[in-house]
Amino acid sequence: MPVKIGIPRALLYYNYFPLWNGFFKALGIEVKVSSRTTKAVLDKGVKQAVDDACLPVKLFFGHVIDLRDSGVDFLFIPRMVSVERKAYICPKFLGLPDMVRHNIPDLPQIIDVTVNMSRNEKNLFKALAGAGKQLGKSGFAIRKAFKRGIEEQERFHRLNRLGFLPHESIEQMENGLLDQNFPPNLSREMTIALVGHGYNIYDQYISMNLIEKLRQMGVNVVTPDNLVDDLIEERSGELPKRMFWTLGKRMIGSAFHFMRSDHIDGIIHVASFGCGPDSFTGEIIERHLRRKRRVPLLNLTIDEHTGEAGVITRLEAFVDMIQWRRAAQ
Amino acid sequence: MRGYLGIDVGSVSTNIALMDEQEQVIENLYLRTQGQPIRAVQKGLDYIRNRIPADMEIGAVGTTGSGRHLASIVVGADSVKNEITSHAVASSKLVPDIQTVLEIGGQDSKIIILRNGVVADFAMNTVCAAGTGSFLDQQASRLNIPIEEFGPIALKSTTPVRIAGRCSVFAESDMIHKQQMGHNLPDILAGLCEALVRNYLNNVGKGKEILGPVMFQGGVAANVGIKRAFEKALATEVIIPEHYGVMGALGAAILAGEAVKKTGQTNFKGFGIAEEEFSTLSFECGDCPNLCEVIEISAQDKVLARWNDKCGKWSNSILKKQKVGEEAC
Repeated sequence: MPVKIGIPRALLYYNYFPLWNGFFKALGIEVKVSSRTTKAVLDKGVKQAVDDACLPVKLFFGHVIDLRDSGVDFLFIPRMVSVERKAYICPKFLGLPDMVRHNIPDLPQIIDVTVNMSRNEKNLFKALAGAGKQLGKSGFAIRKAFKRGIEEQERFHRLNRLGFLPHESIEQMENGLLDQNFPPNLSREMTIALVGHGYNIYDQYISMNLIEKLRQMGVNVVTPDNLVDDLIEERSGELPKRMFWTLGKRMIGSAFHFMRSDHIDGIIHVASFGCGPDSFTGEIIERHLRRKRRVPLLNLTIDEHTGEAGVITRLEAFVDMIQWRRAAQ
Repeated sequence: MRGYLGIDVGSVSTNIALMDEQEQVIENLYLRTQGQPIRAVQKGLDYIRNRIPADMEIGAVGTTGSGRHLASIVVGADSVKNEITSHAVASSKLVPDIQTVLEIGGQDSKIIILRNGVVADFAMNTVCAAGTGSFLDQQASRLNIPIEEFGPIALKSTTPVRIAGRCSVFAESDMIHKQQMGHNLPDILAGLCEALVRNYLNNVGKGKEILGPVMFQGGVAANVGIKRAFEKALATEVIIPEHYGVMGALGAAILAGEAVKKTGQTNFKGFGIAEEEFSTLSFECGDCPNLCEVIEISAQDKVLARWNDKCGKWSNSILKKQKVGEEAC
């Protein structure tokens, strides 16, 4: 029976799952993803997590518990320090494997290799090779599997550029969606850019199904993940000082692009309550937008509450406003 | 002669407005919701029925506010619109060149920025309800003064004291402290008004370009102390419309009138619903781990609607014209 490794469907799952999945599969390891977020998963996470963590981190705990209970041999929780030169991921990700280890009992072995590409981009290989070695694989097999993983990740990026959203790209790569009328980003009356952390906007539960709600209102949804990295990097260069949070930089860079695009009718900034970087990315985006004053902006804060009324009211009013503005032009 | 009815079911108050085809207000009503939105709507309809001109029939009904979906099922609404759009519609009908609408209600506060008669930007308070009507109510009853006298007493102040307005818990302890130091009541109340306005402008109005004419509406607009504090902070005159308390309902009535112009006839179920027995029931659906809290409303054992399920199993299981959560017009 092949060894089973569990990957939580949370946090950077929405950014790097194809890489991890491709790598482990090529090594002959069975990859088990936790089930979709439900109230039960979130409740378990909130109960076990440290109190002052943000909602997505608490949710990650829930997914870890879900995997533990489903019986996996290993848990893959890499310590993501940096994924590009001189820029970092949020400190909560640095401590993630430790937080999990010390707060959740009876866990299977955690593979917590450190990914730190801030000085050297080859570190990614080193990290995954470390994971492969812990699983008892040979150097040759690891190199081959790494190549496979990178290929999968590149395919994922290509699908995202085509207009799929990351969770749809992953679905497409795993199960195939093309024959079910995808990509869905076609012929809708307006386009709204959702700017936020992937783990907040693509998780249907904590985002309160934001993307589907917008689509039902006839809105085409685009996100930073649909853009090429170089474009985001270039646009974020407009800041007087280079931003050293990778995820925040992606939000700001893409917002700067979207606010100039003729195809974008509005921008929604999604922040999770208590997120330090989000609190100022929203502010920076708002200030820059105000100087241009062309694209309407909505700030949405998500937290543990499940009362959808507040979110629906704001979304409806935002879409109304765009329609109204158009009718007046 | 036809009349248009607007119903705004808010967290604290339920407001009903009746206007004629010339959009003149004939009757309006401000009721406490007291946690029973259906009962409040029925009470309101009963009141309107007895005051409606003999030759008038209801040509359209619109609902708004956080209880708009529930109310729309009960009365058979022609339009169901969020409160931001409703308030903006009502204000711009009244003062066509209005540029800023400040609205403070029971638990919500919002700011709407209009340019050339079109909503250009809006914001609502986030998770915190500090500085809304409920807080003023609570403080008034703590100081043992009727809420109606709050404003007039505050106006007598010559040197308002400074009170922390960031959080209503801090504000309260600050107020008690100032009381114990011997400041007089008018100065404390005026200080509270200024703190509330400061908090509103910093939170809800953060970064918004507030230009005149400025209109102030919502239940709190009854408080002249707050009006004066706004005028002081903004250094401009603040208009309080005659029907400040029911502006949302007026907007809903206007929108309903427009909706009926398109459809040709109203869905209004008649004033008989004031006597009808409605009952609501909520249950947790256990068919998947989402454990949705489904709400069911029925009249005389006939289920009218169900909602709040994520998958649509319950809401789609009864045949009806529209699904709750989607706009009717």
